[in-house]
Amino acid sequence: MNNEKKWSDQEIAAIGSSVVIVGSLVLYWVLQFESTIELLELAYGSVNLFNNPLVF
Amino acid sequence: MINEMLLQFAHWMEAQPYSQMLVAGYFSYNWVEATHVLTLMLSIGSLFVIDLRMIGLILTEVPASKLAERLHKPMMIGFVIMFITGALLVYAKPVETIQSLWFRIKMILLVLAFINAWVFNARMKAADGTWDMDPVAPKALRTGAIISLLLWCGVVTLGRYIPYDWVDCVNTDNPTILWAAGCVDQLNAL
Amino acid sequence: MLNLLLSQYRKTTILFLVLILIAILEAFEVRTSIHGNTLPYFEWLKNSSWLGIIGTTYGSVYATVEAVHLISMAIIGGTVLVADLRLLGIILTDIPSETITRGTHKVFRNALIFAVASGIFCAAGVADKVYYMPVFWIKMLALIAGSCFVFLVKQPLLNTVPHDEIRPWTLRLLAVCSLLVWFTVAATGRWIGFS
Repeated sequence: MNNEKKWSDQEIAAIGSSVVIVGSLVLYWVLQFESTIELLELAYGSVNLFNNPLVF
Repeated sequence: MINEMLLQFAHWMEAQPYSQMLVAGYFSYNWVEATHVLTLMLSIGSLFVIDLRMIGLILTEVPASKLAERLHKPMMIGFVIMFITGALLVYAKPVETIQSLWFRIKMILLVLAFINAWVFNARMKAADGTWDMDPVAPKALRTGAIISLLLWCGVVTLGRYIPYDWVDCVNTDNPTILWAAGCVDQLNAL
Repeated sequence: MLNLLLSQYRKTTILFLVLILIAILEAFEVRTSIHGNTLPYFEWLKNSSWLGIIGTTYGSVYATVEAVHLISMAIIGGTVLVADLRLLGIILTDIPSETITRGTHKVFRNALIFAVASGIFCAAGVADKVYYMPVFWIKMLALIAGSCFVFLVKQPLLNTVPHDEIRPWTLRLLAVCSLLVWFTVAATGRWIGFS
């Protein structure tokens, strides 16, 4: 039933803006994740959240 | 006496390797802290929606007890996360936290808030049904909701004060504050 | 053709034009050049405006406003979670999502007003620092995008059209978008304090 329905202006605008916002935010968080992993690797030599050479 | 014991306990925690790792790790403390703060949206967020419903400020068309019942689970998930991350934060900086006046008042408010929640729940169960569709809950529940809102606002505010150093042991010589904050050494030096 | 677009697909056309405009502005590096010129305003905000002066002089006032900011954030989070988890069909499934959307929006809006007002005060107190923080600007962009999204797109659609006439996937996408954008605003906000 849904497939035969006409795409309304509001719905297209809603999908369009959601896709743009979700897309850019997901990209942002993925990049943050990657740079954090890189930073931790630089700091500790490997990604290890709990083994801290400053302490041990 | 109890202040000495708490301080001893704090020193013991501070000496733990995991406590030191939590503070010295690159982001570990920040992540725990950020989780603690962001989970406010789940725990206190759900709780405030319930409280505001009782006062008639939100979702007045939804049966009040149903809303309270349905939001109970997400709220409790939130509070469990708050409790775990909060305990980790104390564990990471035990001496500062246990000797913080704000932290101590916060804990008292937390106890009061939980007693209030318990009374509120009992009253809600006892007053079952008739008022459910009213935009505003009966007076007893409304009072409970307002007390809950105020107590939790206090808890958040005091939580925010903890990192500030206005009344840290080294920054005050008022004996009452020193005693209330458990500043054993400073109190003995007076 | 243009008339048809403007009359029948007004919002879509505007969205499209806005996106094109953003792309053009980015291509000419307008944002970067504006950013470079706003430093004096941030310095004024911290050193000369009464907001900045109060914020830097009275630590207790600053911390209390921060707490107001946090409480507003909690209320925003609560209303967003209730409304969007209902749209996703996770909680309160036996209550119409129209009722939930309508019922939570007013409180959400008021909490957002409080959060923005207290946020301006908090930012004024450390304006010379936040100016240099990418995470602050990410938060501002997410805040603007999120507000436009909620007030110009999401609410108009959800308030005028019965939800069973909207495709279920559109509703889910709207909910995910709103959850993600407000989570980002809150999380980047917390990170400003750490940087």
